[in-house]
Amino acid sequence: MSAPVSALPQNVFMDRWALEPKTQRVWGVNHAGWFTLMGIGGGVFLLGRIFDITLEAGRVLGLPIVDVVSFVTIAIGGLILIADLGRPLQAWRAFRNVRVSIISWGAWADLVFLTFGGLLMLPDLTFGDSTPFSGLGWDSHATSGIGRVMLVLASIAAVVVMVYAGAVLARPRSIPYWHSVAIPIQFLASSLAMAMATLMLIVVLDGGDVTRSELLATAGLTAVLLVTIVVHLSTRTTAPGKKESIERLTRGSLRGTFLYAAVGAGTVLPIVLGLLALGFDGGAREVLAVLTLPLLVVGGFLLRLDTLRAGIYPPVVSLLEAAQR
Amino acid sequence: MTRWGMVIDLGRCIGCQACTVACKVENQSPVDAWYAPVVEYEVGRYPDAQMAYLPMLCNHCTDAPCIKACPSGALHRRDDGIVIADEEICIGARACMTACPYGALHLHEGRSGELLGDGTRNTPSILERYAHERHIEGTVSKCTYCAHRIDFGTEHGLTPGIDPEATPACVVTCPTECRVFGDLDDPDSPVSRYVVEHGPTGVLRPDARTGATTAYVGLP
Repeated sequence: MSAPVSALPQNVFMDRWALEPKTQRVWGVNHAGWFTLMGIGGGVFLLGRIFDITLEAGRVLGLPIVDVVSFVTIAIGGLILIADLGRPLQAWRAFRNVRVSIISWGAWADLVFLTFGGLLMLPDLTFGDSTPFSGLGWDSHATSGIGRVMLVLASIAAVVVMVYAGAVLARPRSIPYWHSVAIPIQFLASSLAMAMATLMLIVVLDGGDVTRSELLATAGLTAVLLVTIVVHLSTRTTAPGKKESIERLTRGSLRGTFLYAAVGAGTVLPIVLGLLALGFDGGAREVLAVLTLPLLVVGGFLLRLDTLRAGIYPPVVSLLEAAQR
Repeated sequence: MTRWGMVIDLGRCIGCQACTVACKVENQSPVDAWYAPVVEYEVGRYPDAQMAYLPMLCNHCTDAPCIKACPSGALHRRDDGIVIADEEICIGARACMTACPYGALHLHEGRSGELLGDGTRNTPSILERYAHERHIEGTVSKCTYCAHRIDFGTEHGLTPGIDPEATPACVVTCPTECRVFGDLDDPDSPVSRYVVEHGPTGVLRPDARTGATTAYVGLP
């Protein structure tokens, strides 16, 4: 009987035969979870402002519901990240190495976003007839100078929050499948597509109409995601490590969750639904638009999880050359 | 300027794992962490097949991906080139583990006792219990080229790579002298002379472009 994976050390090089390709065991479900939540949160904040949904959609306790959704998803993502650390109580140290570490940039971006994104909407907080923070000198519309500064800072932070997870994977050369600009582009496109679908749901729940531009944005962003996935799967296909990753994703154990679920149901189908919805008005358009959300979110999560699970280190020396020696 | 480095001659390694054990004893690494494992593999085809051995350890890279990945600054390079993981500062993000192409970083997962085939662990030995307590749970540790021995030696006028007390335990222990240690910037150091006499050398995963200071003679 072999030991369950959870019982094995996370360092896969401790397995006996280190000259075989090895699958990383360090990052998994928790990381895919916070990658997904932070992607949605950053995208909702940004696209909500760009598409003028934030200030037109409904409010909860006086706060724009779009900003609340964004704030809460990023906060939950951050909590998952912290809980996954080996020493969660030392999480503050993640801010220290901003000179070289992308994770440190991300930690700062999370903090900046939660601070300024939170402060920006705070004056609108309403309890009954009371608005205890209304005298702060700005509002969630960012009409004042200080409000605009907060909005800019929160928006920049939202972009970093969406991008940095992919950049963390793409930077080192250790895992060839990850070491590509395609990974951060995939994560960004997926984040924006999930966010757009979330915003369409908010619009529908608020009794509004889903616009043509919102549908086109969802379909377009998802199409960018699809193109980057296809390009990434079809380039450098024989590179050691990446070859094994692609095989696992397209023909191996991850075929079902990646090819059928993340790509088929989570990427191709939302494009079809989004384009199909353009041909309808009223209820049918809204149903089709809202249907893209669960598909994109589940697909986005599986995309991230399978990207992590397909992280394979090539052998430290080439077995082929060794065999021919 | 001193820049410590190691050359491992694969033609001399007989796979005895003495370096692995010497490192374990010297550094008291956590139970699942082996800073200096020797990997066994097969080369050739029957009837000309034979076993080959690949001693591995931290490559103390000049462009170390683990340092760039670490958000807390727990990983840093000393002036003499040795890459150190400071467990006091480490937060257990493990980005270094995914960034290292050599699997040189080890998370202390709080386990003690040897892992058995069914996933359970046996009762930890006294040594394992000591190692468990010596390290901080949830943090990452790694080979330091036995920096404590090097520092002790240099403080006492000894020469790392020549005097055993100032040389990494794996190098001192190796019965075939397949590991050679010394100052890469000193042309008269044992490691520099060995490269001149027995080179050329290669590094593991050259595609990773890490600037490894651990090099190998006879790498396939």
